[in-house]
Amino acid sequence: MAAPSPIPAGISKEQAFSMAQTEMEYRVELFNKLAQTCFVKCVDKRYKEAELNMGENSCIDRCVSKYWQVNGMVGQLLSAGKPPQ
Amino acid sequence: MTLILILLLSTPLKMADANAEPAAGSSGSNETASQIEPIRMPTIEEMRAQEVWNNCAVKSVASGVMDYKKFRLIVAHFRHKATDVLLAGGGLGLMMGLFLGALDNPITNDTMTGRQQFVFTAKQMGSRSWSSCKTFAVMGLVFSAAECIIEKARAKHDTTNTAFAGCVTGGSMSARGGPKAACIGCAGFATFSVLIEKFFDRHT
Repeated sequence: MAAPSPIPAGISKEQAFSMAQTEMEYRVELFNKLAQTCFVKCVDKRYKEAELNMGENSCIDRCVSKYWQVNGMVGQLLSAGKPPQ
Repeated sequence: MTLILILLLSTPLKMADANAEPAAGSSGSNETASQIEPIRMPTIEEMRAQEVWNNCAVKSVASGVMDYKKFRLIVAHFRHKATDVLLAGGGLGLMMGLFLGALDNPITNDTMTGRQQFVFTAKQMGSRSWSSCKTFAVMGLVFSAAECIIEKARAKHDTTNTAFAGCVTGGSMSARGGPKAACIGCAGFATFSVLIEKFFDRHT
């Protein structure tokens, strides 16, 4: 991920730590949900081989791309403070 | 990003009950029992190595080369076996020589009188089978490329991919005979490839 950014002025160390913790929890939750969603959507339950084949690969590509885009859009909307339409 | 998922999707579902622990836990879950290993992210080299086989061109060329090599081995084996065993007078060599002849030359008039003529026919069949090696390799290449592209576009792993790829291959191989021959080739090769796929699925 990105390099750790310096602590902005006016925030104590504990606050920065708790912010980092919240951020970390958010990231972990996002990753877990993303992996779970795309796995359920793209991979057939009856396993025939251990490796992902070409169709599943491209399905996962598209799924992750869409999920990420939607996540970015929703995050922007929520952080801008507008009411959801 | 997606290749991280490839590695991670293949591991956490093996330990299905460990969904509660954070997936990005590179610090590891050492406090739990030792059968759960910490998740290891793939390195850049691993990702690049996997991305090579994700390319349709690489996959189809490799498959074509493999088909060529395989068929050459089979042909060499049969040819060797057919001529040797025919000379010795065995029945299996006869069968294999016949089979190979039927594969290559459906239009030859087999003169079966005399063992020497049969040996001569077998040798001719063997020499003509080398040219069919190239055909087989091209067929394998076209089929593999078509299947790869179709599966990539559909983003699904199905037998209909195989059917479409078979249709494309059969159609392109017999396109010289006009549209009717192309249709028949398409249908025939699609059926054949679906049957072969089902046969392999049943055994694995």
